[in-house]
Amino acid sequence: MNHLKEIDLKQFGIIIDRFKDIKGPLIPILHEAENLYGYIPIEIQNLISQKLKISNAEINGVASFYTMFHTEPTGKYQIGICTGTTCHLNGSSKLLKHLEQSLDIKEGETTSDGQFTIIPVKCIGNCDVGPNITVDGRVHNNMNIKKLDKIIEDLSKR
Amino acid sequence: MNQKILDQMKNNFLKTNPIFTTPKNVHPLEQRIVLKNYQVIDPESIIEYIAKDGYQSISKALKMTQEDVVNEVIKSKLRGRGGVGFPTGLKWKFALEYESDEKYVICNADEGEPGTFMDRHILEGDPHNNIEGMMIAGYAIGATKGYIYVRAEYPLAAARLQKAIYDAKELGILGNNIFDTNFNFNIEIRLGAGAFICGEETALMESIEGKRGLSRNKPPFPAQIGLFEEPTIINNVETIASITSIITNGGEWYKKIGTEKSTGTKVFSLSGKTKNNGIFEIPMGISLREVIYNIGGGMKEGSTFKAAFTGGPSGGVLDETHLDVIIDFDSLVKYSSIMGSGGIIIADQNNCIIDTIKHFMEFNADESCGKCTPCREGTTILYNMLDDITKGKSSMEDLEKLKHLAHVVSSTSLCGLGQAAPDPIFSAIRHFYDEFVDHIKHKVCKAGVCDMPVTKGGE
Amino acid sequence: MEKLIKFKIDGVEYNAKENETVLDVCKKNDIFIPTFCHDDRFASEAACRMCLVETSNSNKLMTSCTLIPTEGVEIQTNSDIVLEARQEVLKLTWASHPNDCVVCEADGNCKLQDYMYYYDIPSEKEYNIEVRDFEIDDSNKFFYIDPSKCILCGKCINVCDQLVGVGALSFNERGKDTYVSFAFNKGMDFSTCVSCGNCVSVCPTGALVEKSHTKFRTKETRKVRTTCPYCGVGCQFNLVLKGDTVVRVDPINTTPNEGLLCIKGKFAYRYINHPNRLKSPLIKKNGVFYEATWEEAYTLIVNKISQAKKTYGSSAFAGLTSAKCTNEENYLFQKFMRIIFGTNNIDHCARLCHASTVTGLATTLGSGAMTNSISEVKNHDVIFVIGSNTTETHPVIGSFMRQAKKSGAKIIVAEPRKIDLAKEADLFVQIKPGTNVALLNGMMNVIYNENLYDKEFIRKRTENFDDFIKVVKQYPPERCAKICGCSVDGIIEAARIYAAGEKAGIYYAMGITQHSNGTNHVKSIANLAMLTGNIGKESSGINPLRGQNNVQGACDVGGLPDVYPGYQKVHLPEVKAKFEKAWGVKLSDEIGHSLLSHITHGAKDHSIKFLYIMGENPIVSDPDITNVKEALNNMNFIVVQDIFLTETAQYADVVLPASSYAEKDGTFTNTERRVQRIRKALDPIGDSKPDWVIIQELMTLLGYPQHFNHPSEIMDEIASLSPIYAGINYDRIDKIGLQWPVHNKNHPGTKYLHKDKFSRGLGLFTPIEYLGAKELPDDEYPLTLTTGRVLYHFHTRTMTGKCTRINELVPNNFIEINQITAKKYKLDDMEEVIIKSRRGETTAEVHITDIIGDNIIFMPFHFADGANMLTNVVLDETCDIPELKVAACEIVKKS
Ligand SMILES: Cc1cc2nc3c(=O)[nH]c(=O)nc-3n(C[C@H](O)[C@H](O)[C@H](O)COP(=O)(O)O)c2cc1C
Ligand code: SF4
Ligand code: FES
Repeated sequence: MNHLKEIDLKQFGIIIDRFKDIKGPLIPILHEAENLYGYIPIEIQNLISQKLKISNAEINGVASFYTMFHTEPTGKYQIGICTGTTCHLNGSSKLLKHLEQSLDIKEGETTSDGQFTIIPVKCIGNCDVGPNITVDGRVHNNMNIKKLDKIIEDLSKR
Repeated sequence: MNQKILDQMKNNFLKTNPIFTTPKNVHPLEQRIVLKNYQVIDPESIIEYIAKDGYQSISKALKMTQEDVVNEVIKSKLRGRGGVGFPTGLKWKFALEYESDEKYVICNADEGEPGTFMDRHILEGDPHNNIEGMMIAGYAIGATKGYIYVRAEYPLAAARLQKAIYDAKELGILGNNIFDTNFNFNIEIRLGAGAFICGEETALMESIEGKRGLSRNKPPFPAQIGLFEEPTIINNVETIASITSIITNGGEWYKKIGTEKSTGTKVFSLSGKTKNNGIFEIPMGISLREVIYNIGGGMKEGSTFKAAFTGGPSGGVLDETHLDVIIDFDSLVKYSSIMGSGGIIIADQNNCIIDTIKHFMEFNADESCGKCTPCREGTTILYNMLDDITKGKSSMEDLEKLKHLAHVVSSTSLCGLGQAAPDPIFSAIRHFYDEFVDHIKHKVCKAGVCDMPVTKGGE
Repeated sequence: MEKLIKFKIDGVEYNAKENETVLDVCKKNDIFIPTFCHDDRFASEAACRMCLVETSNSNKLMTSCTLIPTEGVEIQTNSDIVLEARQEVLKLTWASHPNDCVVCEADGNCKLQDYMYYYDIPSEKEYNIEVRDFEIDDSNKFFYIDPSKCILCGKCINVCDQLVGVGALSFNERGKDTYVSFAFNKGMDFSTCVSCGNCVSVCPTGALVEKSHTKFRTKETRKVRTTCPYCGVGCQFNLVLKGDTVVRVDPINTTPNEGLLCIKGKFAYRYINHPNRLKSPLIKKNGVFYEATWEEAYTLIVNKISQAKKTYGSSAFAGLTSAKCTNEENYLFQKFMRIIFGTNNIDHCARLCHASTVTGLATTLGSGAMTNSISEVKNHDVIFVIGSNTTETHPVIGSFMRQAKKSGAKIIVAEPRKIDLAKEADLFVQIKPGTNVALLNGMMNVIYNENLYDKEFIRKRTENFDDFIKVVKQYPPERCAKICGCSVDGIIEAARIYAAGEKAGIYYAMGITQHSNGTNHVKSIANLAMLTGNIGKESSGINPLRGQNNVQGACDVGGLPDVYPGYQKVHLPEVKAKFEKAWGVKLSDEIGHSLLSHITHGAKDHSIKFLYIMGENPIVSDPDITNVKEALNNMNFIVVQDIFLTETAQYADVVLPASSYAEKDGTFTNTERRVQRIRKALDPIGDSKPDWVIIQELMTLLGYPQHFNHPSEIMDEIASLSPIYAGINYDRIDKIGLQWPVHNKNHPGTKYLHKDKFSRGLGLFTPIEYLGAKELPDDEYPLTLTTGRVLYHFHTRTMTGKCTRINELVPNNFIEINQITAKKYKLDDMEEVIIKSRRGETTAEVHITDIIGDNIIFMPFHFADGANMLTNVVLDETCDIPELKVAACEIVKKS
């Protein structure tokens, strides 16, 4: 996927131009960048700033407001443990603690090998079948520690 | 596209494929209006939607005056399903009255409230119904542009909406001169990016405009100065999904469903320690007991009912003495809770009320946009106070302080998040006072959740 | 009739105008409401929640900063509920705020501290939350951001974004993690910050604080209101002083700057207390300066004047007055020259900047000044900027242009360089230096051919249209595009956008005026405005932006060789009679020499023997420095009066120490013709004296006693002799200055000129042919040199060069060239090179940029022995302005 893709300003310039005619194009463009690179590099923020005539400070401010946008590179896989209420009542905080321990990082951080980032996830609307986790946005239901370990193990082997 | 072609398409389809799937697990208490096509049609097929009388309502609406459409909605007494329950027709009336070259309709599909997932099912199951509802809203107030703000956590809903918009455009349903009238309407999808506050209507508009999702002070209300400073109506997914049926069957028909002040049906999402979790659509007026023991099939094996959380992190908590309370917009308020957008979470003996309230407060503090002082600072301080309680570090005096600050935050905050964030505290103290006393005085968490100096089981 | 809403505040009835908030009404009526986030200049965000009030029609507390009262509503600003809410909001604000007032720079200048005191909030924390702990960003030279002390009111961001138009700051993260920072939180290198310090001025706490040079507590300071000594905008501010040292500058939210300042106004004040200030008179003996007493200096000067008068007669004297001195001083100076020396040989550096404006607009319209007001900038629908780098040279006006753009105005920029404003503009036409007339004729050709001109206006208010249009017809855009080196479409579009404007304003500066046919350039501008009827209305007109703080005033009060105060011509007998009568002496009716024609370039005929210079620095500012040096070396006697030993002062025989603007009273006239007060804030440094005192004492010693007790009395004399200043006195301009013409003591001043009728009667269309610059690139000198200013320096750096931090930003001479030119000469960025022209050579650092065209060199004119070693002294025939904007030159590699 997106991991450590080389930054191509020309290519991204074309992407920005696609949004030229819509009103309020910033967030869709930031999504594009996040999808392409796994984060929003400074060069890209500056490019967006020039093209949209929005100050780079504002772009940075917007990017840092939304949890789905990252301003530093993220890991190859983004793992999220749902911390919604129902998942919480069903023990998701234990899952999170377990994952933090086994990957030796905190929520929001990336493993030193660049493999995994634990992203904060608030309720993903699958409460009836929780606790849930997400792997690169895909939801896995009825999670427990064993299943979680297996998923991480499988990903590490890939 | 015109009426004739639409009818033809419907008839041709019915001739060759007369049978639709029957949805599974429809409870006998249910009445499906919003969910009329849910699991009935293929959500990715516009033809199936049309065959189920799809796009007939907008066609009908276009033959009415804008005022008449608004009046029909007023007559239905439909109240917004996004949580606050503001009369939808009235909102539309305001927007119609403000003159402007450009107006907007926004469908709020940000559904960020934990334990709530009906909007996801509605959109995934019947996206065209929402598009049609937005078109009617657009026509009614004089807007030509609609936005659906979908949280990015719902990729399937977004994809299905995208396909639905594409198909509707292809068929000439969306676009210019709809049904040979001079009504033009287009819809754009916008994805959220992980900020609960963007479900709040003004923050949502900021987000569409490409800004940080900071709430705006009201007034002015969106109907007056909204998106891109134009008059805007913003409605919840379920509200919009109710519109087609209201136009087809009339406001009078709708008004008769449900209770007097809360008309129509409500889609609830049930989760937690009940057996049958999921969504169901019920006429307003059902009791909590029926939700849990009838529809929910009772508590799970080994679980005893302890509490029901309604209205999410800014709602409240009810105990077993409230089982016969009716769930609608107004009834729960007496018990310091709200129906909110219809998420019901059932807790059992192994769940700690204070821990859950603390969890809500953590959520609110995390999701506070940070613009206004009381919410930004207050939610975190409230969290710290609750945290102290769950760690056995508080005195009964601190409980008074907690209540006091809760009042301050709710009365001085800028938007709904801060104003409602302390609410769970009020109902928890009211209905589970003993549990506070246990934690504070006896340093005991009977549910065994909190890390108390003395753990587990109590005595 | 305006609708008024009647309602009650604390039981008393008040009226609100439409859209007025409760806070507005409270402010007007001195009802105290605490606020952190509110600022009158932008829409309230209601973020801080300090201003909550109770209202009778809601059970919720409402923010008064956003609350529009309804008829009959009753507001409580002082009830127990309100007081408690305020106290609680304060406690919450305080909860995460570092408790270090004792050592905080903002102590005594902090709203949080003040409100805590008024509302009895103990410093002991009531609520438990982590105290904000962020890293300080001190990458800016002038101030630092300490996000820990920030209360997130957002004013700094709003000021930077909405008012200044730069947007260098933003909130980052969210919730309690929110903090204010430059982009990417990586310091200045990543930021678009221009160090204007307006964020510092609005910060209510110690989060954004100037890096002070002097330790001071606010309670030790005092404030003196005055006018900025830098550019022609004439910003109003308070000098904040501890003892006799200026420690800070606080902008005032009033006309014309509305609370904004630029980096120079805000931070370039250190020169006032600089150790190198001249503190006593100096007399040169054998090439060396010796300190002297005033008496010795005066005696020497008086003797020399008498000698020279006997030997050479009046025509051997010349005086340079100063665009940096007050109106009163300039008035006295010209009086001194005219009475004591009997000569009209008076000039100053207005000759170098807007001489062509004065002549060009006087002949076509009748007066040579900005037709509109600065406050009208925001309301244009089209802004056409040509030959002005507004955001750098008149930063506050530049900000107002950006505000205009935010509210929908279109901006057209025509310039040889893609300046900052060009990047934001709706249309940028990049033209070669010196080709303005071709561009303007091309635009007018399009406007005429596309029938976009205002026939009614032309018929009623102008003359000579037919002759004029004949010439315009010769300039189809295709021809002009070739001359200008721009696209045909650019010209056509510029014409259409400008002509479509109902409230179009033209803004120009030295890119238009500094040409050997500068007067023509100016007249061409007048043609364009009249062709479309975009003049004589509010927010519609021609606006030459005057460079120095008082260059407008120095001209107004007669610092020119051909006119007395008020532009009354010296050669007209009735005028001469009027002044002879008033002053009681015989006067000369011979028009004097202009600056360059004989004074600073008089070397060849040696006609000027005695030169008296007040606050001018021709050795840096005038073209062809070699020539100027020769001229000064050939003088018999030179007196220089200045605050520093400038490059020019080195050539003097006597140097008199003058006081800076902060040490005296007086008035400056800004670019919008507004006469504004400056006020004495500290005693003259050392033995220095205000310029007016020096001149008055000399006049008295020379037999024409002058005994003004205060500059206000000089202003009264100016008003009595100059009709455009007739209604001005110090009482009337105490708070807000007046814009001339002010015909009498009841006249309110003139917001914009030429309403209904031009000053000269009918507006005069002038046929203008494109002539081009006198010296064009050739084989020997294949590059075009153009000069200009930078944001961080003022004129010849006499003042800004003494402010170390400012100077560090642009410490030495440089050139801007593009990649192609750099490649041709194999130059690297930052390499030092020699630039040569037919006049001489200089060294400069190479800055490679993409904002300039091929084979064009831009060089700032601020540096001694810099650009003006190269510039061409060829003069405009009508007004003697030199062609500073175009010269042929060549680059030579150093090694
Ligand atoms: C913090 C906060 C979050 C909200 N989130 C949502 C949401 O996710 N979906 C929604 O429909 N309404 C949400 N609302 C309510 C909206 O502000 C708004 O009232 C609603 O979209 C109006 O639609 P309705 O009238 O159809 O209910 C939220 C409100 C607040 C204060
Ligand atoms: S830095 Fe100052 S002005 Fe800016 S938000 Fe913080 S406290 Fe307000
Ligand atoms: S001044 Fe009204 S909320 Fe800040």
